[in-house]
Amino acid sequence: MAEVKANGFLGWLLDPLQSTREQAEPRYRLPEDVRIWAVPLAIGVGLLIVSLVGWVIDAHQFYFSYLVGWTFCLTLALGALFFVMIQHLTRAQWVVAVRRLPEALLWTFPALIVLFIPVLFGLHDLYHWTHPEVYDPASPEYDPILAGKRAYLNVPFFLGRIAFYFFIWTLLAYKLYTLSVRQDVDPDPSIPAQQRKVSAWGMPLYGVTVAFASYDFLMSLDPHWYSTIFGVYFFAGAFFVALGFITTCYAILARRGPLTGIVRAPHFQDLGKLMFGFTAFWAYIAFSQYMLIWYGNLPEETLWYRHRLEHGWEVLSQVLIWGHFALPFLILLPWAAKRTPLLVGTMGVWFAIIHWVDLFWVAMPVLHAEHLTFHWLDVTCWLGLFGIVVGLLFYRLSRHSLVPQNDPYLARSLALH
Amino acid sequence: MAHATKDLSALARTDHEVEPPLVQGGLSFHDITELVAQHTEKKTPKAWWAAFSVAFLGMLTLVAMLAYQVWNGVGVWGNNIPVGWGWPIVNFVFWVGIGHAGTLISAILFLFRQRWRTSINRAAEAMTIFAVICALIFPTFHVGRVWAIYWTLPIPNQMEMWPQFKSPLLWDVFAVSSYFIVSLVFWYVGLIPDLATLRDRAALMGRRLRAKILGFFALGWCGANRHWRNYEKVYMLLAGLATPLVLSVHSVVSFDFAVSIIPGWHTTIFPPYFVAGAIFSGFAMVVTLMVIARKAYGLENVITVDHLEKMNIIMLVTGTMVGFAYITEFFIAWYSGVPYEQYAFINRATGPYAWAYWIMMSCNLIFPQFFWIKKLRRNIPFMFVASIVVNIGMWFERFVITITSLHRDYLPSSWDYFVPTWVDVLTLIGSFGLFFTLFLLFLRFVPMVAMAEVKGVLPEADPHYYETHGDGHSRSAEVQVNRGRSS
Repeated sequence: MAEVKANGFLGWLLDPLQSTREQAEPRYRLPEDVRIWAVPLAIGVGLLIVSLVGWVIDAHQFYFSYLVGWTFCLTLALGALFFVMIQHLTRAQWVVAVRRLPEALLWTFPALIVLFIPVLFGLHDLYHWTHPEVYDPASPEYDPILAGKRAYLNVPFFLGRIAFYFFIWTLLAYKLYTLSVRQDVDPDPSIPAQQRKVSAWGMPLYGVTVAFASYDFLMSLDPHWYSTIFGVYFFAGAFFVALGFITTCYAILARRGPLTGIVRAPHFQDLGKLMFGFTAFWAYIAFSQYMLIWYGNLPEETLWYRHRLEHGWEVLSQVLIWGHFALPFLILLPWAAKRTPLLVGTMGVWFAIIHWVDLFWVAMPVLHAEHLTFHWLDVTCWLGLFGIVVGLLFYRLSRHSLVPQNDPYLARSLALH
Repeated sequence: MAHATKDLSALARTDHEVEPPLVQGGLSFHDITELVAQHTEKKTPKAWWAAFSVAFLGMLTLVAMLAYQVWNGVGVWGNNIPVGWGWPIVNFVFWVGIGHAGTLISAILFLFRQRWRTSINRAAEAMTIFAVICALIFPTFHVGRVWAIYWTLPIPNQMEMWPQFKSPLLWDVFAVSSYFIVSLVFWYVGLIPDLATLRDRAALMGRRLRAKILGFFALGWCGANRHWRNYEKVYMLLAGLATPLVLSVHSVVSFDFAVSIIPGWHTTIFPPYFVAGAIFSGFAMVVTLMVIARKAYGLENVITVDHLEKMNIIMLVTGTMVGFAYITEFFIAWYSGVPYEQYAFINRATGPYAWAYWIMMSCNLIFPQFFWIKKLRRNIPFMFVASIVVNIGMWFERFVITITSLHRDYLPSSWDYFVPTWVDVLTLIGSFGLFFTLFLLFLRFVPMVAMAEVKGVLPEADPHYYETHGDGHSRSAEVQVNRGRSS
């Protein structure tokens, strides 16, 4: 039985395993062409270098733009993690042919830890609760409400929590990703049960860490505001964007790449169903949060929406209603649409754009409450980080089989109709 | 495409884990018909009459209580001025919640192609319909003037007066009534092929009147290809419509609380959290009923331990979600920095209703966690106890949300304690009487398992089955011996 060896430390950050490309069936390999991963990576690095110029000019703006871009990549990985775990738990058979890409996407977490370093320098700019004067009763800046939250909102505990989240996520990613790659070369019959087991204990941990991560990274940007559904809102957006991204990648791989004839219309139909369902789910959560706050109209909660409904931000709120819900809902509704790779692939691109708008709309009014402001840094940080994530993803995919080639359900998944 | 099929032959590896068959005991198509249909055809057993008498007595109790309450006024309940919503609303949310599992099993699991649903969907949908009937009684009768309840409907009238469309109580009227209608249609559409089966059997037995009645309800179904094609489409469409409906109904029920500004009620997580709780309690009720029914009706081979295990897993998942929502509410109450919000939760855990809160916590948060253990998930006595415990816990959840938030809110001068009266208690007991009366009638007159669907998941229903298993006319000898209890 072939054993998959671990990589050295730096390599481990990019891919924990040595290449198993040689053992992959030729049909399941990405072409030798390094441009597939090097081009997005180069674009990403280039744009981040450009963003550094922005940091010199306007550090405050840079940190906010960077946080939105970084959170975007985080939601991509978190959505993929949920995707993989839920498929293992429900013993889904259809999904096997389209499971390797989300599995490889999981290994984005270590890179995200490294990419989080710039945010550490910007904590003071981003998070009002990091300012010591708000806790000082003698200071004019004293804020009794924030002083009451100090036990939770303080930098050491904040960093400790983030370390904990990433420990859990990376551990889950490591288990699920390496088990699946190991199966490519070693068809150990116990692997599916192991994957299910990891998913079983991983799922509750996932729920708790994702919710608290959403409070830490996004909700505490406006530390007076609170909403119990916010964790679910964050998760709904994450799964939404990950489904779109996975579908788009497969649409490309199946149209022009090695997966032609392997990933077919029925797989796209199922992915399209999930995209459709989670469009509706996101809308349900977003509407519930908005409607209940609007209805109760309690000042401490309503303020958050007031900032997003005036000074130009109302335009983005409308864009979200129509672009994040109505448009994908109507387009993805017909049976035929979900089976058309070109269409669901295009929708996946739209999902990414609109999900970024969603995160922008959550975070940015904290910085620009007075008027809606787009900055070139928003785009460079977002696409820079996104490019790096995509580049690393395809780097990993080029080293291993593109489908879990010894999964017991693979034949059934390939025969899906 | 040709490319793909070529791959398949190369890749056709044997499954490492052979899934156990959904229907055990080697039942044939005919065995399933016999097994399910006989219970609606034979003479009513004594045990059924005994159970029915008890349930019917409960239903009479309910009717008596409602009549007494309408005649004397709602003051016969324990409700007081801060606690204007007492047990009737608690029971309403409880029963609506029970109903949700049926739609989940029939619609959502159908959309996810979970074939194990076929054995339980009929009974679960029936449970939905009866639970919604029980639920609808409470909003109708908890008003002071039940004879004016039609004012909630937007009917043109000589006063030019319309209902207030901003009230979630009005949304309830629309939500629950459309939920009832759609569930009923969905259930009935699913029943048509089975009613046709019963009709044909009645005709063979020479029971003319029975055949005529069943024939009327079977709508002339003859199982033609064209029928089935349309039937499948309709079923898919109804499943697609019922799924958002089921999520929205309990969300609307949660809006009754969450749109208010009462601390402990006004929280944004209520919609998904109520839905999760509804599925949780609904599945518990399905398990309770199925454990008894499969034993009493000899359906152990159709509703197997694997089915029950899957239901327990769903209970575990939704129970964990509910537990997570408890923690979230508690944390955000502290995090909000709003003293009323903070007090509402301290009061739940340590106030005069702490006993109810801790019953809820232990039943809903701790008990389902035992289902992590596979042995317990497949242990029928244990799951039976657990499913009842979960429903007690879920009733208390609604009790805690409704009453502890109301009895102490903004003004200490309007704090009070709520004590239920005997009418409250008997009305709740009576609602169970109504539910079981209807459910027993269903078991008696309607096939409790969707025969046509269960036949569809048998191995023989696979078009490729006979390529490997002979011509299908000679079943193997061992299977002949292993027939289920179809005597």
